[in-house]
Amino acid sequence: MKNRLKVLRAERDWTQADLAARLEVSRQTVNAIETGKYDPSLPLAFRIARLFAISIEQIFDPEMSWPETMDDHGSYARH
Amino acid sequence: MNLETSVPGICSATAQDRHNQRQVTIWAAAWALSYVVVTFATKREWLTSGMAVAAALGTAVLGVATLLAYRRFLLHADELQRKIELEALAIAFGIGIVGGLTYWLMFEGGVVSGKGFSFVFGAMILSHAIAVVVGRRRYS
Repeated sequence: MKNRLKVLRAERDWTQADLAARLEVSRQTVNAIETGKYDPSLPLAFRIARLFAISIEQIFDPEMSWPETMDDHGSYARH
Repeated sequence: MNLETSVPGICSATAQDRHNQRQVTIWAAAWALSYVVVTFATKREWLTSGMAVAAALGTAVLGVATLLAYRRFLLHADELQRKIELEALAIAFGIGIVGGLTYWLMFEGGVVSGKGFSFVFGAMILSHAIAVVVGRRRYS
């Protein structure tokens, strides 16, 4: 899942450690979220949104909308 | 069991996680030490039957304390850390089940003696430790 966490953090001139301390998670978690290796839980996503005072949708982008049609091979098309 | 999960350079656990990890390590070390001492003393026949029971129960208490410390660590762990631990536990559990049952079949077939069962537990501990390190590298 794509996200704007790194940009939002940079805008405030925070380090990953600063953000981790504010969110009460490890710096490794912040780094993993920023690099897209780990998707945060819903409670953590809400904490992030509250911290930056914006909605979750303004931070996280699922990249793929819900599939509506199947292709000829029976797979859902990527929108 | 999580004997040592602090890996410098690839992990930055929260202070609470580090504290809980230390607790697990301390209890696990005490448990392992007690197990080794009791095993050694039993083999040397230093203990009466009553003392052997007391020593075994004492070791079991340390084991339960280790499990409770590990549970506390998992309940309060950072969510990524919890995910890494879950994956490591799944691998260790799988290796324990597959390795243990395979060894049991070979034991029943007379291929191996029963002395190697402790290696199954060793393999579980080692696989868990390796899986934690690999997991932390993957998410760093």
